[in-house]
Amino acid sequence: MNALFNPRVLGAGFLLAAAGVLALYGQPDLEQKWAFMAPEYASRLEFREVYIDPAELLRLINDDYIELVIYDVRDERDWNIFHLADSERIDLKNLPTQRKRLRGLSELGVVVVVSNDEILATRAWKQLMALAKPNVYILEGGINHWLNIYGVVDEEHEHGTASLARPDGTLRHPFKLALGARHAAARPDEHLVPHREYTEKVKLLKKVKKAGGCD
Amino acid sequence: MAPFDLTATLGVTGSYLVYLGIGFGFGFILESSGFGDSRKLAAQFYFRELRVLKVMFTAIVVAMLLVFWASALGLLDYADIMVKETWLWPGIVGGLIMGVGFILGGYCPGTSLVSVATLKVDGMFFLLGHVVGVLAFGETVGYINEFWNSSYMGRFILPELFGLDIGVVVFLVVCLALAMFLGFGWIQRLIYGRGDPE
Amino acid sequence: MNELSDKIKYWNPYIGGALLGVLLFLSFFITGHGLGASGGVNRIAVAVQDMVVPEHVDKSPYLAAMAGGDVDPLRHWIVLEVVGVMIGGFASGLLRNRVRLQTYHGPQITPRTRWAFAFAGGILMGYGARLARGCTSGQALSGGAVLSVGSWAFMFAVFAGGYALAWFVRRLWQPGE
Repeated sequence: MNALFNPRVLGAGFLLAAAGVLALYGQPDLEQKWAFMAPEYASRLEFREVYIDPAELLRLINDDYIELVIYDVRDERDWNIFHLADSERIDLKNLPTQRKRLRGLSELGVVVVVSNDEILATRAWKQLMALAKPNVYILEGGINHWLNIYGVVDEEHEHGTASLARPDGTLRHPFKLALGARHAAARPDEHLVPHREYTEKVKLLKKVKKAGGCD
Repeated sequence: MAPFDLTATLGVTGSYLVYLGIGFGFGFILESSGFGDSRKLAAQFYFRELRVLKVMFTAIVVAMLLVFWASALGLLDYADIMVKETWLWPGIVGGLIMGVGFILGGYCPGTSLVSVATLKVDGMFFLLGHVVGVLAFGETVGYINEFWNSSYMGRFILPELFGLDIGVVVFLVVCLALAMFLGFGWIQRLIYGRGDPE
Repeated sequence: MNELSDKIKYWNPYIGGALLGVLLFLSFFITGHGLGASGGVNRIAVAVQDMVVPEHVDKSPYLAAMAGGDVDPLRHWIVLEVVGVMIGGFASGLLRNRVRLQTYHGPQITPRTRWAFAFAGGILMGYGARLARGCTSGQALSGGAVLSVGSWAFMFAVFAGGYALAWFVRRLWQPGE
């Protein structure tokens, strides 16, 4: 009986128990990490601070100084029908692969997430924040809104106005052909589009210099 | 969520004070545990004293549990802490060389600092040798550059190597440490007929 | 130098280890990285080198990365930590009356022999630590606690190297046979 209450046995038992419970409890995934971060950052979504107007995105695209990354998180089918010329497609589940890249972005780095409406993009935004806290924004109204503004009437695209009232994550502009980025609206010419007023929301982050890395 | 940006919160001087403090704690604990004494350190390699094994592995296990519990509870982001990157073969060869240096010199860099701080002459000679070794490396690294930069695997962690969950690996590491304590203790009793003098 | 009586004054290694583990965790928590030692000695050595032969430092890519041009190798956390380690070690020694000019050596050899081997061992340690990009404090302890594969491989290599040679140099440490 004495052997059981030997401090070494107790210590060993405690360590094993701590490790065992930890293994069952598990490490947080991106969704859970966001849950930990939410109190501090959720307001940015609530107050629409990170939703940027399509015109602002157009300005970013044409700005030569900033390091712009546009993530399109829609499925392949919608991507093939239409996507912005400067964007790259990535599934939500593959976002963790971007950690190193996002950490490596300079002070001039700006990330914008795009989906058909805002639903998928907002989820991606949360995960990217949990992943690397980059300077990331969401295209307000998504592709549907973008096409409302920059879509042109031509043979390939029956221009209509997609309703933004009941967003359901689908691409609600009719396309006769899958044009991908070859459509004119994929890279609107900023000199030809009508001027549009918007609230500027994108700010560049000041990169803090850390006092030396590992060694 | 930790880790926080120290320089931003405390300024450069503040962050330097923190590092001094951490170093102070480190040196204090090392000396208090007898690691300023080369004989105690070397005794590990003859199974005469298992101090080195016990302190090292207990420290690793405790720190590991704290880190990953903090991560599980959302207090610390494991992705944000510095995990030593892996250059496999330079690490192994360097480790072997250091093992030889350990048994010949009786110290490792950290403990030699403590030894010098308590005016042990052998520690001073060791530290002097350490400086020479470091300078020698700096002068000759050009010749072994290719090797020194070989087998780079980046931030490669055990769970990735074994394809297991972090929690499982943590548990296995605890088991390994306990098994080593038991195993080395058994060998010690075999050779000397006694356990560690406590 | 009776080992047994020395032992009574030193901390129980499990307790020392546990405290060290807590400190290591706090280091990760507060600063985002673990402990280190050899890197600090390295930087101080390079700093001196930079004072004496700055052009040579600028020409070597390895050295220049740390001290080339205006870069101050001492402006790095590990240097501060190394200074702290010495102060902490001194404080602990002072508290327990262990600060004394003496040489620790195995009973079969003289202090002089010990000095020679300490110096030789130090050279190997210094070289090996740079090759491995860390020492037992940085790589084994810190890297090991956060599960780096390279750190664990390194740790086992250190033990292997030490144990492999131990029997051959037992005269340095073991009591008479």
